[in-house]
Order: sequence, then structure tokens, then C-alpha cells
Amino acid sequence: MEQEETMSLKCENIVKIYQKKEVLKNIDLEIEHGKIYGLIGRNGAGKTTLLSILTAQNPATRGSVTYDGMPVWENQQALDHLCFSREINAVSPFGQNTMRVKEYLRIASVFYPKWDKQMAKRLTKLFHLDVQKRIAKLSKGMMSMVTVIVALASKADITMLDEPVAGLDVVAREQFYRLVVDEYAKTGRTFVISTHIIEEAADVFEEVVILKDGMVLCKENTQELLERSMHVSGNAHDVDAVCEGLCVYHEKKMGRSKGVTVVLEKGQSLPKGYDVTVQPVSLQDLFLAFCGEEEAI
Amino acid sequence: MNEILNQEKSIYLQISEMIENDILRDVLLEEEKVPSTNELAKFFKINPATAAKGINLLVDEGILYKKRGIGMFVAQGAKQAIKNKRKDAFYENFVKSLLTEAARLGIGEEELIKMIRQHGQQES
Repeated sequence: MEQEETMSLKCENIVKIYQKKEVLKNIDLEIEHGKIYGLIGRNGAGKTTLLSILTAQNPATRGSVTYDGMPVWENQQALDHLCFSREINAVSPFGQNTMRVKEYLRIASVFYPKWDKQMAKRLTKLFHLDVQKRIAKLSKGMMSMVTVIVALASKADITMLDEPVAGLDVVAREQFYRLVVDEYAKTGRTFVISTHIIEEAADVFEEVVILKDGMVLCKENTQELLERSMHVSGNAHDVDAVCEGLCVYHEKKMGRSKGVTVVLEKGQSLPKGYDVTVQPVSLQDLFLAFCGEEEAI
Repeated sequence: MNEILNQEKSIYLQISEMIENDILRDVLLEEEKVPSTNELAKFFKINPATAAKGINLLVDEGILYKKRGIGMFVAQGAKQAIKNKRKDAFYENFVKSLLTEAARLGIGEEELIKMIRQHGQQES
């Protein structure tokens, strides 16, 4: 009986170069079993590339990816534990994607040894998906739903979803989060979910990985990260005094007032006695602080 | 239990406070079963580990207890325990900011006491 609890997906010194451009720069990451991870980053930060390298759908230029110590590349034993459910396109490299949904699901069932047919059926019904429909004829939302069905029904130990909610309306998005949380609660499967829609998903992520310009900016327990981050505002004078020596991001000024996002290191705390407003920040706020641009519009 | 989560404080703290509020309001009675962490996670669309943290906080404080294989239950005397806990935190959570703001606005002690007396009679 395998000890699933100790099997983790590890990548070391991953570098990916596309046409002379370094898209991923020395990524070291360990995806531990039994957690829901959020992978957030701007467009072009390298999220999709990273996920496809982790699941051996794309070769790294340098570096290694291992699952439970075994290299993942072309290793069916390792790959049987992984699933990468990526966006489906209406147009494949060979023209219009005329495959029907049910054929796509059947191929997925062959691909993933632990495929749960009942679950796929149940979810298809839940999403009101017509399996006879050809992929090219699906709406963006329906395509996202197919992606979600594949991810969940694969029953893979580590499942990656690349922007699964991009095409879904808010009602369907809520359904998605419930489904993932429910599946995770029942099975303890590992999920890595990349998304742009940060705030809704923030509470679902036990750990968050922030990717910026091809590098891991931060990988941390979501709640711990948020607990050590805050927004400090007030008279610029006082704000500067309070934040002396601390890591500040995203300074914003208006007249004499100033607002900054502060992220404390271990052992640091805000000095007391200053008349400043201290507020908690959301994951989205923090992401903007880390990855936003100070453009003059 | 139907309060909405916000970002004012850590989610797990909001979960434990919600359960406490339900106990105070007699929505959850002593010796009654509390929703499971998985039910809470699904309901609020949060990570089960977060829900568990909120529940465990209450277990540590003796407000909930665990019946193995069955679930979490409201402990005897939980209601009073919550009241006591909140009473101790009352100054920190409510009075401190009141005094700070009053000071900022130049509202003196006498005026504050007058306000409390006037409205205290009306509200109760």
C-alpha cells in the first residue's frame, strides 16, 4: 500500500527558455500532498509553462521534476499520479476542433488510470453539458466546464488546473469552488489552481505561490502571509516613521496622506503610539502590491 | 450561521466567532452537534484546514468537545464561557477604540458617561 502522504512533486532549478527569452528562472518548488495550492501571477508570468513542465507536457530547458523521487519526464509510473487540465480550444492546430465532448471525455478516461466515470457523468449533468456537442461549438463557459470535469474525474493524486474559472460566470465559479473543496474534503487530493480571479479563490487556497517574471516571489500558507501583511495609512510623516526598516510596497500618496502595504518579517511588528490607520489586506491587494505597476496614466 | 465572511480578520477566527454567536443566540444548544469542518468548508467555500482551525480553537477553549467518530458538540456551560471570554475582551474590542476616538474629538469623560446613561436607558 503506497504511502500517499509522503509523495510530493518537486522541481529543482527549473529554467525554461523560449526563443532566447528566459520565461522561467531557476524555479524550486515542492508541491506537497494533501493541500490546495493557488498559483497566481500576471499574464506572461509563466504559470501555464510551469504547470506544463511540472506535468511533463513540456520539457524544461534545465532542471529536474520528480514525483516521489522519480523523474517525471516520460515516466508513466509518475505521470499516472498527475493530471494537468488545461484550457480547451475551439481551434486545434489542425483546424476546427470537431471532437465531441463525449469523445474528449473518453480519451481522458484512457489517459487517467483512476478516472471516475460516475463522477464525470454526475458533473456533466450538474453543468447541463450536452456531451454530443462538438467542442468547436461550445461556449467559453462550457469549455471551462469540460476542463473542470476532466480535472475532478481524473481522481489524480496531484491535479493542476490552469485558469479553470476564466470562462465561468459567477454562479458557475461558486459551484466550482464548492466542488473542489468538497472533493478535497472527501479525498485529500492535491490541487494546484492557477487563477486571475484571486479574491474569490483566496479562502480555498491553503498555500499560495506567487509567480512574478518567471520567478517564485513567494510561497506561503495563505493565512500566515495575510496575517503578516497590512495596509498602513495616515499622515505621510507618521506612516514613514511607523514603517521605518520594514518592507513596504505600493506607496500611494495624495496630498499629505500616504498609504503603503507593509509585509512584516518574522519577529517584526508595527511600533505603537502613532496615529495611523492599520487595516488588513486581501490576497488580491497584496498581489497588486507585489506585482502591480506604478504607471502614470 | 449565515453570516458572510469578510476580510477584516482571519477566516478561522470568523468561523469560531460565528459558532460562538450561534451558541449565544441559542441557534446551537449545549450538547448539540456542530456542523463538521467539511460542511463548513463547503458552505463558505473555504479550505477545510481553515474551518478545522476555527473549530479547534473552540475545542481548545472548552467551548466545543469532540465525540470520536461522530463529530463536534457544544460543551456544557459553553454559553457562559463565551460570555466570560467576551467580557474579558470587551475593553480591548470595544472600549479602547471608543476612548481613542473620543479623545481625538475632545469628548470628555463626563460627556461620555452622559451619553451612555441616556442611551443605555433607551436601548434596554
